[in-house]
Amino acid sequence: MLWVVVAVVVVAGIVIAVFGWDRYRGGREAAGNGSHAEPTGEVFVDTESGRRMRVWYDMATGRRDYRPEQPSDTALRAELLAAGPGIDQQDHQHEAQTVEGGHQPAAAGAGQVGPRVRPATAGGGHTDISVAIRVTGLTKRFGKTVAVERLSFSVAAGRIVGFLGPNGAGKTTTMRALVGLVRPTAGTATIEGRRYSELEHPVQTVGALLDGDDLHPGRSGRNHLHVLARAAGVAPARVDELLELVDLTNAADRRSGGYSMGMRQRLGLAAALLGDPQVLVLDEPANGLDPQGIRWLRNFLRSRAGEGCAILVSSHVLAEISQLADEVVVINHGRSVLQAPLAELMAQGNGGMRVAGPDVARLAELLRADGAQVEGAGHGAIVVSDRTGEQIGRMIAANGIVVSELAAHGESLEDVFFELTGYERGPS
Amino acid sequence: MTRLLSSELLKLRTTRTFYALTGAAVALIVIIAVLAAALGKFKTTGTPGRDVLSVAGLAPLFALVIGVTGVTSEFRHGTITPSLLVEPVRTRLMAAKLAAQLIAGLALGAVCYAACAAIVSVLLSGRGIATGMSTSHWIGAVIGGAVASMLYAALGLGVGALLRNQVGAIVVVLAWVFVIENLLGIIPGGFGDAIKKYGLSGVGSSLARTASHASRIGQVPAGLLLLGYALLLVIAGTIIVRQRDVSS
Repeated sequence: MLWVVVAVVVVAGIVIAVFGWDRYRGGREAAGNGSHAEPTGEVFVDTESGRRMRVWYDMATGRRDYRPEQPSDTALRAELLAAGPGIDQQDHQHEAQTVEGGHQPAAAGAGQVGPRVRPATAGGGHTDISVAIRVTGLTKRFGKTVAVERLSFSVAAGRIVGFLGPNGAGKTTTMRALVGLVRPTAGTATIEGRRYSELEHPVQTVGALLDGDDLHPGRSGRNHLHVLARAAGVAPARVDELLELVDLTNAADRRSGGYSMGMRQRLGLAAALLGDPQVLVLDEPANGLDPQGIRWLRNFLRSRAGEGCAILVSSHVLAEISQLADEVVVINHGRSVLQAPLAELMAQGNGGMRVAGPDVARLAELLRADGAQVEGAGHGAIVVSDRTGEQIGRMIAANGIVVSELAAHGESLEDVFFELTGYERGPS
Repeated sequence: MTRLLSSELLKLRTTRTFYALTGAAVALIVIIAVLAAALGKFKTTGTPGRDVLSVAGLAPLFALVIGVTGVTSEFRHGTITPSLLVEPVRTRLMAAKLAAQLIAGLALGAVCYAACAAIVSVLLSGRGIATGMSTSHWIGAVIGGAVASMLYAALGLGVGALLRNQVGAIVVVLAWVFVIENLLGIIPGGFGDAIKKYGLSGVGSSLARTASHASRIGQVPAGLLLLGYALLLVIAGTIIVRQRDVSS
């Protein structure tokens, strides 16, 4: 009988060893301090601040960070960073958020995480909540196929960023890389400064909807959520709450194999919201939803963003994005075509900005004097084709002009999109 | 860890496949054991108790299939994506799955072997046939069978993680046990004998004390050997799962 005991002990030992090793590694990574970090040759321009950023590599933890690049003396800069305090405030933001990877505003809502005390690292204890999602030089190859190539963009807290691109442009690959399902060939994709697998409470930090079809057809919708809630340490009551939110309470106990596409999508959305996260990554969330569902989703995402949630949402329904997003990231063949506020993107097309009001004639003169292309549009309105809304707004303010309307004119987002990606209308 | 394990056990309990497989295992073993023990003709020199108990050898095979589906169904239905969103450390997810399969396999094996042993001893003694097994033999066989089922479930998990395709993985494990090992076993000479003794089926029946004298090895070496096979496959499967991109 002794051997039974021996076998059980051996199995238990192995299980403990596996868990212990992970915890040990996790602990080491958490405790890793910035002083091991070395600057690499990789530099990019931060779209948020317009600053040059350099990628740093920490050999002890294998973590890649990015810090503002100083044109002057990189070595001195590294010393200053290692020393900790005494660096100007502006720089703090970027360093702290990446080096410490620290801030988790989502956690408070779920009641899971208290404030975390971490060993002092380069840059001190400041954290930056403004940039929630950051993709830096992301490249992913599947064999010889390049899915994503040197893609960089960011999503700030409180912003909804539309992720646009034709089918096969690399949107889904990028989103999967962001949540650790796909391993990047190069570059990083981080959430609140950390890779997804390094997040202590991933579900409470990020909610992801990648494919609403990811359901076991024999399991009920309610049990699907319970399985995930248990693993995430989310209270069972939250499941009922979410089923109510996505209007699935009546169907919750049926096998999910019989659900319509819209119901699956709503269940997927409920799963993404389990931990009440402050970051949402949604791949085609409107897929299969009926018009009421789409409107509900739009209002819901708007209100989440209003509460400070950072939302990255991909879609092929361009009209949907144009009604929802603050900014858009357009990619094509895995490369970034642009990241810009939506209004600016609309203005980039030939349609330009439409301005109306009693004083537009004077504004037209001023703009023409500034070298802008201005055309009359009748009914006391003009169309300015090579100025952004902000540029025109500044001119309006500077000259005390009264306007009744200032809006992107003419081309739809669709036209701009086709122009950017070089795709013609119709299936490609 | 406890959270993940409880989630994995809930995954098992919330699908019909699991109930169908465990139900089928118990039902088949009980029916065949009852028929064999009640109607079988046994030689006086034979080992009737052991012969009928070998019917319970179906339990490890069902545990093997349950182990395979434990991971392949996640890939088949894409639920691996939400599972990895909740637990991005894949080694930890696999360890929780392993623990859940060990528990399920052990429970299934214990129920099946205990039920079979009870049926055999009651029916045979009712017919006045000597089972040829002592009480400690019975206990050892039930525990051995339960452990064999437990390790078979782990082994199935490993194969499932390696192959990921549900149908493919089930075909592979069943073909191995029912066809390939039997074919290799008829190779004359040492190799065939070694397969009978140290192959998956041989080790399983030695562990459950239902092997014939010719191909029997000790319970402890059989258990350790099966543990080794299972570990090898689970580790290989975990490495594969860790490395692969999940893009359903």
